[in-house]
Amino acid sequence: MNAPAGLDFASIPERIQSEVQRAIQRSIKGVEYFSTSGPTLGSTPKDVLHSRGTMSLYHYRPMSDEIYRVPVLIVMATTNRGYILDLVPGQSFIEFLLKRGYDVYMLDWSAPRPEEKSLRMEDYVLDFIPDCVRRVQADSGEQDVSVIGYCFGGVLSLLYGSIHKDGPMKNLICFTTPIDFREMKLFSNFSDRRYFDVDHLVDSVGNVPPEMILSSFEMLRPASRTVSQIQLWENIWNDEFVKSYRMFDRWATDTLPLAGEYFRTITKDLMWDNKLFNDTMSVGGRAAKLENITVPILHAVAEHDHIVPYDAAKHLIAKIGSADKEEVMLKGGHVSLVAGANAVKRLWPKLDSWLGKRST
Amino acid sequence: MTDKTNDPVAMWQKMMGEMEKGFNSFANQAMSSPEFSQALNRAGGVAAGAQKQLGELMEKYLVAMHLPSREQVTALAERLQSIEAQVSEMKSMLSQIAASSGIPQSLDAAPRPPRTKRPPSENGGQT
Repeated sequence: MNAPAGLDFASIPERIQSEVQRAIQRSIKGVEYFSTSGPTLGSTPKDVLHSRGTMSLYHYRPMSDEIYRVPVLIVMATTNRGYILDLVPGQSFIEFLLKRGYDVYMLDWSAPRPEEKSLRMEDYVLDFIPDCVRRVQADSGEQDVSVIGYCFGGVLSLLYGSIHKDGPMKNLICFTTPIDFREMKLFSNFSDRRYFDVDHLVDSVGNVPPEMILSSFEMLRPASRTVSQIQLWENIWNDEFVKSYRMFDRWATDTLPLAGEYFRTITKDLMWDNKLFNDTMSVGGRAAKLENITVPILHAVAEHDHIVPYDAAKHLIAKIGSADKEEVMLKGGHVSLVAGANAVKRLWPKLDSWLGKRST
Repeated sequence: MTDKTNDPVAMWQKMMGEMEKGFNSFANQAMSSPEFSQALNRAGGVAAGAQKQLGELMEKYLVAMHLPSREQVTALAERLQSIEAQVSEMKSMLSQIAASSGIPQSLDAAPRPPRTKRPPSENGGQT
């Protein structure tokens, strides 16, 4: 009988030996997995500059002898924790920025308390962000501030920038930021106004529970969680794989609740009426048109983003009023665009080369 | 080197990848229907109503047990939050005063680096 093309019989004993060794390692490492807590995340040295309810403003300690004049304020998405941008040394976006000479601040969120269910979009766009910008200005002694918004943090940054068109935002960088909510097809269907009674939900539960937010993310790729657990078992002998799995899994499941009134506005104004895309969005009675933004802007989108599909993000650059604007599409998904081994090679250097020359 | 087309482990991994894609795609198609949205939201509405009723029942139980009510705990939390905010404001003001008068803000506070950095292209490629 002939060997099938490409099958190397000589390598079979070696392969069997390797698989047996991996099976033994799996058993040993499997026990280790459940008895250890995984890597410490978000450990870049920082100071809490201000904290108020759900909002925290951090200042990261500089890691460079000389820093750019313009400080950077990162606005995190309200559904997730900011440590995705500060995983572990060598895979921390924050650490990368600090080593490249940026003065970095982050507006991060903790779970809104039950009494914060009445926080509205106005509180986020007209209070929290401007308050943090003022504190960054005071702490750094600089008037100009560059803003980086991730996912829905990008939407909040866009709303802030479109209302505060006279500054002090000097540059705006958005990562995977949706503006056309009709194109978030599944989210759009989950919140179909004919069947989704957002008033009943918010009036019943107050803040929208994190389990509901997590389920809606996981429903976008229902098989992926099971497959990733199978992959974990296959690769449990590989310390690097396990470390990476634990970092991302911990972050992905560490979802935050959303303040009820804020969620009501997101559903009605953005998901149902698509007001940001239609130029009819207003926050606290103040028009928030994207054409009002005239500062330099970079929008980074991911080729395989299943949470914010490209169709939901692609019109941002066209609708912005800036002359200096650029969209960059990079390989990766919604999270791997900004964090992990691929981001180190792709997004971060691109951002540095774009922002450095605009930060003096 | 083993050819990947005949490597059972590689074949298994490829099969898992294909199954994942296929199932996700199938499920996404099913979840795009109005019927799915209707069923999902009907179940969600019932769950939200049940959660509200359970919350009300728990509150009555706590009152019956002479335990502090939710409002009382919340009022305490708000007072604590207000004190925290005031301390934070005072700390911030002290830092500003210290900074403007040249006093080091704490024993381990390193001086801030100068804001003179130029992009690498202007420095002849240095980073």
